[in-house]
Amino acid sequence: MKSIHLEFIKKSYNESAIIENLNLTVPSGAFFALLGPSGCGKTTLLRLIAGFEKVEAGRILLGDEDITNLPIHKRKVNTVFQNYALFPHLNVFENVAYSLTIRKIPQDVIKKKVTSIIKAVHLEEHIFKSIRQLSGGQKQRVALARAMVNDPEVLLLDEPLAALDLKLRERMLIELIDLQNILKTTFIYVTHDQFEALTVADYIALMNHDGKIEQIGTPKEIYEFPISTFVAKFIGSTNIFQGTLQLQNNEVRLEVPKLGSFLVMVQEKKKWMLDGVTAFMSLRPEKILLSIGVREGFANRSAGIVESIVYHGRSTQYNIRLKNNFLVQVFEQNEEHFEKEVVDYNDEVQLYWQKENVILLER
Amino acid sequence: MNIFKQCKQYFFEDLPFFFSMPAIVWEVIFFCIPIICIVGISFIKNWDVSAFSGITLFHYIKLFQPIYLKIIVRSFLLAIWTSFLCLMFGYPLAYYLACKASQSIRNILLFFLILPLWTNFLTLIYAWYFVLEKHGLINDILLSLGLISAPLVMLHSLFAISIVTFYCYLPFMILPIYVILEKLDRTLVDASQDLGANMRQTFLRIIFPLSIPGVLTGFLLVFVPAFGEFAIPLFIGGDKYMFTGSLIEHYFLIARNSSMGAAVTSLSCLLVLVVTLFLRWSIKKKFSYIEGRK
Repeated sequence: MKSIHLEFIKKSYNESAIIENLNLTVPSGAFFALLGPSGCGKTTLLRLIAGFEKVEAGRILLGDEDITNLPIHKRKVNTVFQNYALFPHLNVFENVAYSLTIRKIPQDVIKKKVTSIIKAVHLEEHIFKSIRQLSGGQKQRVALARAMVNDPEVLLLDEPLAALDLKLRERMLIELIDLQNILKTTFIYVTHDQFEALTVADYIALMNHDGKIEQIGTPKEIYEFPISTFVAKFIGSTNIFQGTLQLQNNEVRLEVPKLGSFLVMVQEKKKWMLDGVTAFMSLRPEKILLSIGVREGFANRSAGIVESIVYHGRSTQYNIRLKNNFLVQVFEQNEEHFEKEVVDYNDEVQLYWQKENVILLER
Repeated sequence: MNIFKQCKQYFFEDLPFFFSMPAIVWEVIFFCIPIICIVGISFIKNWDVSAFSGITLFHYIKLFQPIYLKIIVRSFLLAIWTSFLCLMFGYPLAYYLACKASQSIRNILLFFLILPLWTNFLTLIYAWYFVLEKHGLINDILLSLGLISAPLVMLHSLFAISIVTFYCYLPFMILPIYVILEKLDRTLVDASQDLGANMRQTFLRIIFPLSIPGVLTGFLLVFVPAFGEFAIPLFIGGDKYMFTGSLIEHYFLIARNSSMGAAVTSLSCLLVLVVTLFLRWSIKKKFSYIEGRK
């Protein structure tokens, strides 16, 4: 396992730069997720690391070695492709053994290595089957085994689970984590699915539409402390309020037009946090308490009308229309420990939240 | 009324079958029945007299005389040699067209590749006649450049025949290979290189094996007509070399011995069939995925 350093990377298609001045460090042995909307350049970044595309400027380091100009087949980096890219004329064993056969490794060693990796991905029964006879999930495992058998320093995964159904995807995610724990290889996992990234990754790098990295952090950091409204909106659901910042007697408040001012807790004071500037606050739907009656002990309160109720099974989503015509999402856990008050359409309700539940954002 | 409805239902349930009927009927009337007749005729002593003259294996036995065997083997070798030449020259071009050429170059080259097919086959052969003849294009150029002092004799040789056959059938080799290579999933090439194979290994282990169906189609499209080729030996080869095609023509049209002609025809068909089946079988054994492709 080795780390990957990208330094001042530039790449453009048809003379428009999709990645410019990008710097990124993937720590060795990490399960690193590259997350971003479609077309943000995350797959391009992966293809640059693998060598399928050439960088226009910048350096790529694998450990301490500069691999910027190394041809694809000499990089100790392997890829799991989105459409698996299994060789249709070879069977499962031959597909997995491909990289070893190329390196002219003795047959008995190949057999041992391939058998053990095929066991690790639970395909023992299918070892001599043709690729056509496999299901989507099995093909995915073959692709994984084929890329892993060569003991790469870094494994690149390009939306590997995109074609699988939800249940299978959840299972494969767990298996991927287990596999990474055993093999200790550095994984770089490209996805547009925030759920996958939150599940598997040690670190997440979130890319925006301009091909820039917006934020890097652990899943919890990214979810709980987003640095911009883009991050807050991309990871999970949130309610964003725009308002004017007010700093008075050690209190930070956000004055939202036609709605009132809300108390905000600020962990550390940033340079941009000045009295009177425009700012945003992000309030996660699950951090809001919804009630018809009066509740004590909350720092903030707002009133609204229930516009719609969506039942999700484990939680219920309420869409509340506030006084300023803003629609707020609220999630209530359906834990059913005690009898709850009944909230129905068109009821006037109160929303409560603490000042610690809010993240204050510059943009 | 009910029956009409049912017929209508059957019709729409199996539309492809109904629409293939004209072609099937055509094939049966103008291909299957004539072939059966030809095979039948080859066993009749003398078809060209009005009375039935009895059944015999005589024509086939006669065909195994060295003089006839030589003609059949010569045709066979010409067909194999032409197919081989077409493959050797056609594959790189097909590969270049499908994998390397830019869109505009590809279109231009494909246009020139297909252009000869718009021209009548005989016109093409005559054109070659004027290129190769004693006072033809090549000799004129070489003479005026002073590279040779006397015209080269190129016509009426096996070399000339194979050059012209190669020229005429080259597109039929290139096009099927091009189609297969063009459709080839590029991520397989990426994957192969990603797994440590260089371009040469990727070609030998991935690209070429996956293009075998195209090579097979091209081979058959060249081999089968080249085996029965009759116009090229006639115009380019003069009467110096007999080929199977010319032999068949000779028996049917000149010697008026239809039974003998039918025997040559049947034997050629059998030979082509055997080669085709052998190729299919040997490739199916090695590349079993081809058959199952849907």
